[in-house]
Amino acid sequence: MNARALTSDVLLGIIPIALAIGLWQAISSFGYAPVTLLPPPGMVFTRLVQQLLTSSFQQEIASTLFRLFAGFAIAVILGVGIGLAAAASPAVNAVVRPIVRVLAPLPKVALYPALLLLLGFGHESKITLVAADALFPILLSTYYGASMVEQKLIWSAMAAGTPRRQILFKVVLPAAVPSILTGCRIGLVISCIVVFLAEMISSTDGLGYRLVTAARTFQAVDMFVPLITISMLGLILNGLLQGLRSYLLRGFPEV
Amino acid sequence: MVGPVTHGKTPGSKAGMKVVPSRPEVRTDPAPVRGPASAMIEIERVSQTFRTAGRQAHLALSDISLTIEDGAFVSILGPSGCGKSTLLYIVGGFVSPTEGEARVKGRTITGPGPDRGPVFQEFALFPWKTVLGNVMYGPRQQGVKSAEADAQSRRLIEMVGLKGFENFYPKELSGGMKQRVALARTLAYHPAVLLMDEPFGALDAHTRTRLQNDLLNIWERDRKTVLFVTHSVDEAVFLSDKVVVMTRAPGRIKEIVDIALPRPRRRAELLLDPRYQKYVVEIERMIDDTSEEGLHP
Ligand SMILES: Nc1ncnc2c1ncn2[C@@H]1O[C@H](COP(=O)(O)OP(=O)(O)OP(=O)(O)O)[C@@H](O)[C@H]1O
Ligand SMILES: [Mg+2]
Repeated sequence: MNARALTSDVLLGIIPIALAIGLWQAISSFGYAPVTLLPPPGMVFTRLVQQLLTSSFQQEIASTLFRLFAGFAIAVILGVGIGLAAAASPAVNAVVRPIVRVLAPLPKVALYPALLLLLGFGHESKITLVAADALFPILLSTYYGASMVEQKLIWSAMAAGTPRRQILFKVVLPAAVPSILTGCRIGLVISCIVVFLAEMISSTDGLGYRLVTAARTFQAVDMFVPLITISMLGLILNGLLQGLRSYLLRGFPEV
Repeated sequence: MVGPVTHGKTPGSKAGMKVVPSRPEVRTDPAPVRGPASAMIEIERVSQTFRTAGRQAHLALSDISLTIEDGAFVSILGPSGCGKSTLLYIVGGFVSPTEGEARVKGRTITGPGPDRGPVFQEFALFPWKTVLGNVMYGPRQQGVKSAEADAQSRRLIEMVGLKGFENFYPKELSGGMKQRVALARTLAYHPAVLLMDEPFGALDAHTRTRLQNDLLNIWERDRKTVLFVTHSVDEAVFLSDKVVVMTRAPGRIKEIVDIALPRPRRRAELLLDPRYQKYVVEIERMIDDTSEEGLHP
């Protein structure tokens, strides 16, 4: 895709967001909703900038990001590891498959009370919840990517002298990268959602905690600030992952 | 004039399925001095049965015996589904036969090895590696030092006519160029045998002709043993010392035709050569017979 097409795509993508903000502005200016419940966008963004400059808010962002990254990283390591192992070994697959079938559709948030009791109210319980939720899409897409590797790639490598046990890392893993990255993208979005959710349910800091405290004190403006912050973080992280993706997949045909 | 020499089956006999190693190749040209023809590949009474999804046994190859001499260029022709690819995969060691055995230089084939290099119709290049990375893969696996592998691979890339494309990714190349890379990647680890499964099948006629010429030129230099599967009779006659014609499924060897045309072969001269035309017509007729056998079992 050339630079001009990319720019016009970005412009097209901005239109619906601009429309939504416009609608939001219209609702508050025409007085359909009281300012105390739905503050106008200008007010929210001013407050956002103010908050972003305070070190206490920056610390909330830092703890949310830390939990998000830690949970996501664990999910990537476990998901890719288990997915590859299951694709490579029928025995591992036989063990993993039923566990995945049972656990994947389970709402992980249901485990959160138990996690809180086990791991406490700090980082650990939230990181675990994020990892548990992001794990399955990464695991499943790694597994399918690794099982779908073209047989003739493997044969070509074996004929060139690659021992059977090295095929997994020399051929299967690199060939599965496109589908692993697709899983990671889904996992990253889920991580953003789940870390916020966990902080809302029970926490002493983080963006989700900020939202809940603002809601309890009817500070509508302060409710919107963490919400917009997390969605912007999500946007930035997704952009970074996209950059990594186009670098890693530079040889693969576009899909 | 030298007519087509065929080694047919003895009609009606079971022995007809088994093909006796044919007589040494006849060369009418001043062939490069080579030692006595020794067997490079021996396929002995190989049968292959596949279990289909419905648990039915499907006989793909039936009692194939074939010997390929060192340095020979042998093509396999036959109707679709007769087991040509399967036979090639057995020699490659990718598939183990349900009966019989295949040997390379007298050793039983138990798996793939760098002495047998495949070239597939689908190219099967590593999409995450550049042209150079793909070609270097084999030498690096063989333990060749990086700098040395780099230099060798660059020479090979030049030999297949892709100088300047070293840092391109496969997706940035045309089909013909991809197949050149695939050939270079396989040649890079110096296999004694090239196993080519319809390598030019996905290419347009013009590209195909050019690649045939280039393949012949490369082959003339070091005379590797080549086992070449194709659907094109012209291609088989143009390239080969021997053409193996198979029957429709279950695949058996129907005839082996020695192609006694002089080398080096020039396409323009060959097309006018009545001997060439005679081979083509005769082999086409054999394949037609094969199809009819299928219609009236
Ligand atoms: N892995 C497999 N499992 C089951 N059946 C198979 C398998 N591989 C091949 N066959 C069957 O074996 C027969 C021969 O297949 P093969 O691919 O060797 O034919 P071919 O002569 O190469 O055909 P084509 O000219 O179309 O490439 C076919 O009937 C096919 O369905
Ligand atoms: Mg085939």
